[in-house]
Amino acid sequence: MDFQWIELIQSVAVVCGIATVLALLMVIADATIGNYGEKKIVVNKDKELKVEGGNSVLTTLKEQGIFIPSACGGRGSCGLCKLKVDEGGGDYLPTELSWITKEEQKENIRLCCQLKVKNDLKITVPEEFLNIREYEVKVDKIVSLTHDIKGVTFALQGGDELDFKAGQFVQLQVPEYDLCEEPVYRAYSISSVPSDRKKFDLQIKYVNNGICTTYVHRHLREGEIITMNGPYGDFYLRDTDSEIIFMAVGSGMAPIRSILLDMAEKGISRKAVFLYGIRTAEDMFLYDELKELENKLPDFRFVPSVSRPDETQKWDGETGRITDILQKYLTNPEKTEAYLCAGERVIESYKAKLTELGVKEDKIYYDSFGGN
Amino acid sequence: MKQSPQLGKAEEAMKPGVITKEGFLGTDVRHLVEILTEDDAEVARLGLTHEVVADRMKYFKEEGLKGEGLLVDVGDDFEVSVESVRGKLACPFGEPGLISKSNVRVTNTRIGKAVNYTDFHIHMIGEHGFYQGKGSPYRVSPKELKEVLAINSEE
Repeated sequence: MDFQWIELIQSVAVVCGIATVLALLMVIADATIGNYGEKKIVVNKDKELKVEGGNSVLTTLKEQGIFIPSACGGRGSCGLCKLKVDEGGGDYLPTELSWITKEEQKENIRLCCQLKVKNDLKITVPEEFLNIREYEVKVDKIVSLTHDIKGVTFALQGGDELDFKAGQFVQLQVPEYDLCEEPVYRAYSISSVPSDRKKFDLQIKYVNNGICTTYVHRHLREGEIITMNGPYGDFYLRDTDSEIIFMAVGSGMAPIRSILLDMAEKGISRKAVFLYGIRTAEDMFLYDELKELENKLPDFRFVPSVSRPDETQKWDGETGRITDILQKYLTNPEKTEAYLCAGERVIESYKAKLTELGVKEDKIYYDSFGGN
Repeated sequence: MKQSPQLGKAEEAMKPGVITKEGFLGTDVRHLVEILTEDDAEVARLGLTHEVVADRMKYFKEEGLKGEGLLVDVGDDFEVSVESVRGKLACPFGEPGLISKSNVRVTNTRIGKAVNYTDFHIHMIGEHGFYQGKGSPYRVSPKELKEVLAINSEE
């Protein structure tokens, strides 16, 4: 009996000893393996940043005031945050490979939300990204443009000004609320004219369960302070004398409105048509403003088209999808630039129709959005 | 019921914070094998197969895409809209590549009910018979799909 007790006590002691050693090992591993210490990131062979290793390149650069476009907040699901990592990136991670083409691999393009800062890095950041800043902005005005699109005007604070090109977008930060446990960023095109650097407008369509759109439509209040960063994007009017065809549906109007208002201010009188798709006459918004632009821009025509005309609603404009009426308005396809703003699949449909009708593929510019 | 290591791995990938923040299992405490088996039995009881359900979902998506971003009528009883959502998701069952997430909303105007789903649902149902766990905000049940999409029984 005594022998059994001694054996039991010895067994308990051995188990406790092993557990203590394992716990110590975990503490040491946590303090050493995950701790990469101070690292150096050289940006564009010029600027040297001293950073704490261990976080993603996206987060680390953001902490240093360098904002890389990302629509999913760094979860590796949008594929936007690509960056050239000249040295120190190591092997590609499985989570990067779905987004990076073989050509991009040869160029050392990496998905910087997935790549962690474990070594000293040399990276190339496009110059336009270096102008991107984070701002605190005040919600100046919220208006309902349609039953599911809100127009929101934001005012910059203090002496801040937003210097953007018509057609570019910003990222809004949604604070934590019912649908998100931590702040997330979502991208929206600016719909106002760039000459007003103290204020800017967004048009935000409600998407069922969309984190940002639900916040904007159900929670955002005038006077609220929101964090945003920008401007981003290369969807802007090219400086040529080509004819222009603009195509959009719903809130895809936003960047095109900005470009048109800018053209009107600058007196850019290129021949241009804006084909805008809506389902019913009730879905139309800012009609008077866009029609008024025909007076300011003599060679411009605004052509909304209703895809499902309703006899109870007055409508004497075009009917059908805008790809159905495109040929009628595309008078000189070989000398036309196309500017498109819609969802990814719709853009594909527009592009197919435009190229079929003779518009050169390299003259088609687009801003493809997702509703979240 | 015993779960295979492959399903165990998929179940891990379905937990919150792995592929998506919310995960795919909701408040369901059952193992993946049980979720799959029970939904499979439910689909059989309804006289359907997962392929038939996924094909009907795909049909409405394709019809909706013809609207080029606008709501379209499909036949006399359905309204469909398809909206692009930026981003793609990995398959928790480990298939290579990423699945896009176009949002499809089908309203059956005859019965006044609607259902929302994505390309991801179509893939999960058609390839894996997975409708998500109970309590998941994105679960679409076989019964709901049969009713709203008016899927005929396989007889």
